[in-house]
Amino acid sequence: MPEETDGRPVQTEQGTGVGTGLDHRRRWLRTFRFQSVDHVPDEEFGYWTDTYRVWQREGLPREVASEAAANRYFGFAPRARVPVVMGVRPMLPVRVLEEDERHRVIVNGLGQTLLQHKDGTSSIPHFIRFPVENRTDWLEFRKRLDPDDPARYPANWEQRLPEWRRRDYPLGIAVGSLFGWIRNWMGFEGAAAACIEQPALVEEMMEHVTELVLHVLRRALADVPLDFADFWEDMCFNSGPMISPRLFRRWMVPRYRRITDLLRGSGVDIVYVDCDGDITELVPLWLEAGVHCMFPLEIRAGTRPEDLRATYGRDVLLMGGVDKTALIAGKRGVDEELARVVRLTEQGGYIPHVDHRCPPDVTFDTYLYYLKRKRELLGVPEPEAPASERVRAAMS
Amino acid sequence: MAGQVPACPQHMSLEELRTAVVEGERTAAVAATRSALGEGVPARSILDDALVPAMATVGDLFKRRQYYVPEMLMAARAMKACMEVLRPELVAAKVEPLARVLGATVQGDLHDIGKNLVLMMLEGAGFEIVDLGVDCTPERVVTAVREHGARLICLSALLTTTMPAMRETIAALEAAGVRGQVAVLVGGAPLTQAYADEIGADGYAPDAASAVDKAKEVLARLTA
Repeated sequence: MPEETDGRPVQTEQGTGVGTGLDHRRRWLRTFRFQSVDHVPDEEFGYWTDTYRVWQREGLPREVASEAAANRYFGFAPRARVPVVMGVRPMLPVRVLEEDERHRVIVNGLGQTLLQHKDGTSSIPHFIRFPVENRTDWLEFRKRLDPDDPARYPANWEQRLPEWRRRDYPLGIAVGSLFGWIRNWMGFEGAAAACIEQPALVEEMMEHVTELVLHVLRRALADVPLDFADFWEDMCFNSGPMISPRLFRRWMVPRYRRITDLLRGSGVDIVYVDCDGDITELVPLWLEAGVHCMFPLEIRAGTRPEDLRATYGRDVLLMGGVDKTALIAGKRGVDEELARVVRLTEQGGYIPHVDHRCPPDVTFDTYLYYLKRKRELLGVPEPEAPASERVRAAMS
Repeated sequence: MAGQVPACPQHMSLEELRTAVVEGERTAAVAATRSALGEGVPARSILDDALVPAMATVGDLFKRRQYYVPEMLMAARAMKACMEVLRPELVAAKVEPLARVLGATVQGDLHDIGKNLVLMMLEGAGFEIVDLGVDCTPERVVTAVREHGARLICLSALLTTTMPAMRETIAALEAAGVRGQVAVLVGGAPLTQAYADEIGADGYAPDAASAVDKAKEVLARLTA
């Protein structure tokens, strides 16, 4: 997804809406309000680190080696978040505990001990230990979740406000995570066990995060008219949620609601959640909680945008839903997949893009074909700038 | 109730044990296991009549969306704790496991949540588990098959880019001449039955509870 963490949008050469009266911001908002648009916003999720290396061998300019650079190079519509640190701060210095030819064991900034590939190959690491195992650990860890930490806002916040107020692109804010963060801090098994053995601790952690988010949010909401807010959870397998809908409803729905009520009271009416896997059982609960945009709709896990639209109508907004494995299959797979999503896109409330970061087993040629066909089918103009200029933009 | 025949004490302790495991009450489950052993219930009966049925119930509850991973995990941990108590008795009584199973996340992949859940459920079903860990080369799997005399291998991959390592592992088993003596079960987020068929696996399990049924099914085919 074309977002940067410093609040600077990814500027592109195309799609300013000149001649249509729609800039990026209005196009994005109108799409999610089911209003007419000249075309759907041109967005993609992003890429694995390995993907750049593989694609550079297949023709991607070497200068394009990051998400921001790729967004500029491919000419996607800009979107950004304000640079507010909502989570753990400060991060600890990374320590290497041991290493061999292929692997390295480190303690990362969060305090997780993990085994990772030394060559930078993309993978979810093998986690060995987590910073929170019990309440004593939590009380120590919580010191890095101080709502009053002044460094949560950048020193130049005030100076950035005029630029944000006159922007022509969607600007939002990340609003944290009620379960995903706890899973990061305790580990999957630790968090799952804590739900049964230490429920009071789980609730205490969720409550602290909720209060932290509410506290930190207020200044941003008062200073900038924001367009969206996003949660990150990643709490579903391909067979459904990691915790029961019963616990989700009891612990998470009321806390989400407090945050989404504050957001809506300040005019932020698009709230999405980033959750891979099969989210089907949790969608009605997120809707109840005021989180009504689902992202990234992993097809292979069984989360299909057309099914969600059929079930929830215009109560649900959608982002993603293009099966990455169809792109792996090649151009024919691309054609079949795009045919599936075009009709849904025409109904509004949906921005189609690949349903996760694009993996390196999608060839660069296939990806270019996918972008070309998607733009043709959805009436999205191709970037006007020649490739050489887009490479320069990617480096800027 | 007047006139009711008192339940057999052995049945009562096994019933308590089943309930404790299903509810994930580790302390109560271990106590019930010790109690059953103290009452002279054979270790095999404790395993076959309490622990295995309890975990089958847990798997069923998971499939019916009444249990989720936390509940399944707590039950599996309770079962594991009971097995620690029971294992010396099972060894002394020469009780054989259903089969020896190798579990491995394939080469290039470091993710192990799915593999761990599958192995926990298989152990709960009466299989003996050898966990090879993550990032396992095909050679390592072949060596382990020979070393442990495993009848089933469970291969896990989270990423589309590491799925091909499953095919390579199966090819290595073929090349080493051991493919015919071991069944291969595959699973992981990007996998499908079609992919399992394409690479020549014996089965595909979409989740940990289904893995138990599928493991029994592919082993039955192997021995048929």
